[in-house]
Amino acid sequence: MESIHYERLQETLYHEKLDNGLEVYVLPKEGFQKTYAIFATRYGSVDNHFQVEGGEEIQVPDGIAHFLEHKMFEEPDGVDVFSKFSAKGASANAFTSFEQTVYLFSATEQIEDNLDTLLNYVQNPYFTEENVEKEKGIIGQEIQMYSDNPDWRVYYGLIEAMYQKHPVRIDIAGTIESISAITKDTLYTCYNTFYHPSNMMVFVVGGVDAAEVIEQVRRNQDAKGIAPQGRIGRYFEEEPVAVGEPWHEVKLPVSQPKFLMGFKEKEVGLDGEALQRHTLTTKLMLDLLLGNSTALYQKLYDEDLISDDFGYDYSATPHYAYSMIGGDTKDPELLVKRLKEEIGAIVEKGFTQEAFDRAVGKRIGSYLRSLNSPESIAHEFMRYRFKNSDFFAVLGMYEALTLDDVNRYLRAHIDWEQLAVSVVVSP
Amino acid sequence: MNTTGFEHGEIHGIRVHVMPTTRFKTFAISLYLGVPLAEDTVTPTALIPFILRRGNETYPETTQFREALEDMYGAGFGLDVYKKGDYQLVQLRMDTINDAFVSSNEPLLSRSLGFLGETLTRPALEEGAFRQKYVQAERENVRKRLESIIDDKIRYAAERCIQEMCKDEPYRLSPLGRLDALDDLERGGLYEWYRQWLSTCSFDLYVVGDTTLDEVIGLVERHFHLERGDALTYTPAAAKPASAEVRQVVERMEVSQGKLNMGLRNPIMYGDDRYAAALVANGVLGGFPHSKLFMNVREKESLAYYVGSRFDPYKGITTIQSGIELQNFQKALDIIREQLALLQAGEISESEIAQTKALLRNDLLESRDSAYQMIGYDFNGRFAGKERSIDELLEQVEAVTADEIQAAAQLLELDTIYFLTGEKEA
Repeated sequence: MESIHYERLQETLYHEKLDNGLEVYVLPKEGFQKTYAIFATRYGSVDNHFQVEGGEEIQVPDGIAHFLEHKMFEEPDGVDVFSKFSAKGASANAFTSFEQTVYLFSATEQIEDNLDTLLNYVQNPYFTEENVEKEKGIIGQEIQMYSDNPDWRVYYGLIEAMYQKHPVRIDIAGTIESISAITKDTLYTCYNTFYHPSNMMVFVVGGVDAAEVIEQVRRNQDAKGIAPQGRIGRYFEEEPVAVGEPWHEVKLPVSQPKFLMGFKEKEVGLDGEALQRHTLTTKLMLDLLLGNSTALYQKLYDEDLISDDFGYDYSATPHYAYSMIGGDTKDPELLVKRLKEEIGAIVEKGFTQEAFDRAVGKRIGSYLRSLNSPESIAHEFMRYRFKNSDFFAVLGMYEALTLDDVNRYLRAHIDWEQLAVSVVVSP
Repeated sequence: MNTTGFEHGEIHGIRVHVMPTTRFKTFAISLYLGVPLAEDTVTPTALIPFILRRGNETYPETTQFREALEDMYGAGFGLDVYKKGDYQLVQLRMDTINDAFVSSNEPLLSRSLGFLGETLTRPALEEGAFRQKYVQAERENVRKRLESIIDDKIRYAAERCIQEMCKDEPYRLSPLGRLDALDDLERGGLYEWYRQWLSTCSFDLYVVGDTTLDEVIGLVERHFHLERGDALTYTPAAAKPASAEVRQVVERMEVSQGKLNMGLRNPIMYGDDRYAAALVANGVLGGFPHSKLFMNVREKESLAYYVGSRFDPYKGITTIQSGIELQNFQKALDIIREQLALLQAGEISESEIAQTKALLRNDLLESRDSAYQMIGYDFNGRFAGKERSIDELLEQVEAVTADEIQAAAQLLELDTIYFLTGEKEA
């Protein structure tokens, strides 16, 4: 077991890589009642074409990672996993995103039992033709719920508009048609590939003893004698630089149009620390450009083109990276026009040192505040770790950024050729 | 003696509650201002906090106001307007980093309370009233918020069900006010109502962090410029009986999933000795993934992705909500009613009880890790006029028997069934 102390954050992280490849991390939080544990695999909706070293190349139906997550709650003994956790006072859940699938619980007592339950059910798949068919009804309702949700539709619409080939453009849950092709055999294939311990991590945060937790996970894993597995190859069709459609429109009943626009990065391929720095710099740049204390934000608000829900975000992985900017607006075309005019002028001038310092302070404050939340620590740590970087290095990275970096990113990112717009309007 | 970890005091008619602790990296500050929910005042009250957050005396321009927050290491500033029982509550929150983690000249707690106090009591004015520009813009903002409720069909269906069920009570009102009343609000009348609201509302101020009651009282005295009488308490709502016949309301819209919502009267309020039994009863029915509704409607019949129940002990209402295939309305309704009948008939297993108690216990214990949840818990007790510490409630939940759960469930009376469905007959 190794330990890393972060003096400024007053946090100590413990880590061990087990013989079967599983990475275990523990962050003890003195005085906390709650323990929050996640068991996560580096496997999400984008991983639909893959090959294990020495095996054959496989293409699977859209939505299968999410379907698999649902089915992990089925156990051969017929006892519902939720009930097992409930009986021990743990609140359990799971979620699937583009890049990962995460199983979790939070509890204040019987942590050892609950951690065993988590490790064991995720490593004990039980798929039958019958239980796979039954799930199609439930997931069908989940898909329909999202399809009625205009915020989800405008979000996904933008990704679909930007990406022509990359599987990030496929809805995480798939479609009712695509999931109809899922069988217990395809589920086992995906499970056996991506749920190998060497592709997974455990993160436990809360009022726990690090050595005891790591010892428990080691014992649990050693007893299972899981054979090693080769490297997983993941295939992504080559993505053109250009966006697929500059304007994407969906019709749903809404009180006023939903609007999102974004810039698709021309160059990708960063990983680890470089990707982390790139992401933080771009987010800071967007704060300076569009944050709610900026002159631009206030101008658009005064023009009645944006409301409090106006926001922005930036996502980057080694394979795709894009910004998202928007909210509800009465006039999407006019808003795009105004953003073009105003942002164009800012790109020429760049930001001031004063605004930069304030924005850095704000980011640091919100980062430190996030360390009050075990959930947020666990999720962020995992996301960073799966991209080969370190969530606890964020403070230092923000402090090392300069005004020049941000101004440079501003000029590079704002490329109107790379713009896509997604709107949801009433029929 | 204090039972929730808060120390209590009073200044300027404001009840001040402080939990001194070094457990968090922040100071959490929360203000609750409550007035009875009423047709005439609901809209101006809803609008006031949105105007206040546009600027104060020192920072009259909104960009200055927000820059000032960023200068406090990006202090979180939030506001909320909601209804609880028969009251309309305005909540203002600030979340500031503890100075120990950053370098700052003036202590951040003092700056935060100064900022909040001025924002609430010394707004940006012109000619003795609110700025016209802010009134106009925020009226539009509230209008859009009211209109946009329809965008989220889950929320829309929940609010419509309550509206129908409480059509003869103030509780039918949206906490954001009435669309038809917005246009009549002008800056002079609003400012007058603001002064009255500020001096007559029930006012609680909470701080959790590395401080003391004396320090906070001193800061409130310095920064909150108010003339108020004694602190006002809240009057708990009275439970209402269900309507004689179950009402069924069907609404059509262009949706692919139907939303089935049900409203039930529940006479057990927060202050009731049977409160713990009602909590467990709701947990067995639909509060958790092991509950009857989830296990039967979702896991057994595959009819829904989400289905559950919620218990509001401040109003005396339990609601059930689910998203289903349009043509499954009757089937889902039958299963939900059957599960409710089973609960009321005492068909409750040992494991359902044990699992529900264990999760309620966990929820209560976990709330101690969140400053805002502890604040919320203490305020709920004050609001309901019943002080009950987390430890007491834990004991009461543990002691609940199957008979008590059944007795609590038998008091549930179905009042309204609301179904949001597609444009055409399914």
